Amino acid sequence: MGFLRQAGVVAAKDLRAELRTKEAINSSLAFALVILLMFSFAFDPLADTTREISGGLLWIVFAFAGTLVLNRSFTRELPNDCLDGLIAAPVSGAALFLGKACASFLLVLGVQLVSLPVFGIFYNVPWTRQFPELLLVLVLGTWGLTVVGTISSALTVNIRLRELMLPMLIYPILFPALLGAMQLTAVLVAGNPIGPGDFGWLKMMVGFDAIYTAVSLALVETVLVS
Amino acid sequence: MGEGVLYYIPLGGTAALAAATALIASIGFLRTRDFRFDALASAASETVLAFLAAGIVSGCSVVHSAAGKWWTWDARMTAALICWLLFATCLMLRQAVEEPSRRAAFAAVWTIFACLDVPLVVATAAWWKPGPTLPIDWTWPRFGLLAIMAIAGGLFTAARVRRPEPSHPERAG
Repeated sequence: MGFLRQAGVVAAKDLRAELRTKEAINSSLAFALVILLMFSFAFDPLADTTREISGGLLWIVFAFAGTLVLNRSFTRELPNDCLDGLIAAPVSGAALFLGKACASFLLVLGVQLVSLPVFGIFYNVPWTRQFPELLLVLVLGTWGLTVVGTISSALTVNIRLRELMLPMLIYPILFPALLGAMQLTAVLVAGNPIGPGDFGWLKMMVGFDAIYTAVSLALVETVLVS
Repeated sequence: MGEGVLYYIPLGGTAALAAATALIASIGFLRTRDFRFDALASAASETVLAFLAAGIVSGCSVVHSAAGKWWTWDARMTAALICWLLFATCLMLRQAVEEPSRRAAFAAVWTIFACLDVPLVVATAAWWKPGPTLPIDWTWPRFGLLAIMAIAGGLFTAARVRRPEPSHPERAG
């Protein structure tokens, strides 16, 4: 079985398991909605200034809600020693990692695509005006979040306070990707296209995703066999 | 103001040297599985935290004397704070893992992740806050102070290097 096919099988297994139980995706969606609601207590959700910071608000929601999905990525394998079975299976650590990252990516992206219209309605933000570009930013930002979150999930799966450790580990690392996503999302939900001045952020996000995907694929075997 | 300007640059420079040491030691551990590299990486990470914290405090004093407040989201201050958090998470991860070989491997992986993030954080902070930032003017006295600080950082690291602990016999029974 080829590398990509192995990763595809792992991703399909994770998606099937999640869609049967809906544990992570339900809690993540509910959490996203609760945070969106709580932001509206802190300031006037319909004020013009809110639109200016809407990119930041959205990505804070995505990062918090995404953590719930990412925490489950490897924790899901703990009952019945499934993780030992996966590591012993004739699948490389990199394929296992890539499969799990792809499954988490699709789940987090799903949560985002549900949260986005809710955000648009509650905060009166016309987010559909630049949707293709916004989707590109969502994909790049979410892949960065997912790839760092999945390797962190592998690191924290067997340690104390894993639910606390994962967000503590990933948020400082994600600073460049999240800041880029926030800046670009703020531009796009305001109805403006990505201008020449914003390409630097886009390149930063692509570079971040490429670097951390490559390093994670190279080091995940070390994490899994330790 | 001059005092603060004098100190935060060499403190930051020493922290950068310690971060490079931690990166090299982490790669060395993953290649050789020699726990002396792990001990060096751990000590160098502690040096980064100590010197960067001192640099941030020094930067705060510069900001305070110039602007009357203790913190501005200046590019260099922001980057220093994020880098401090990156290395703090490396040490938190060390504390959370009990088994020594797993702790060393995980910490090495995360130190590599943190070090790769440092240039991205510095560039991102500079794009985010392109306005006036803390002054950096490299002149010979500052190179001299950097050399002294680097020696102090080396001594601090050497003092913090612990003998590797492969097992805990008292827990065996």
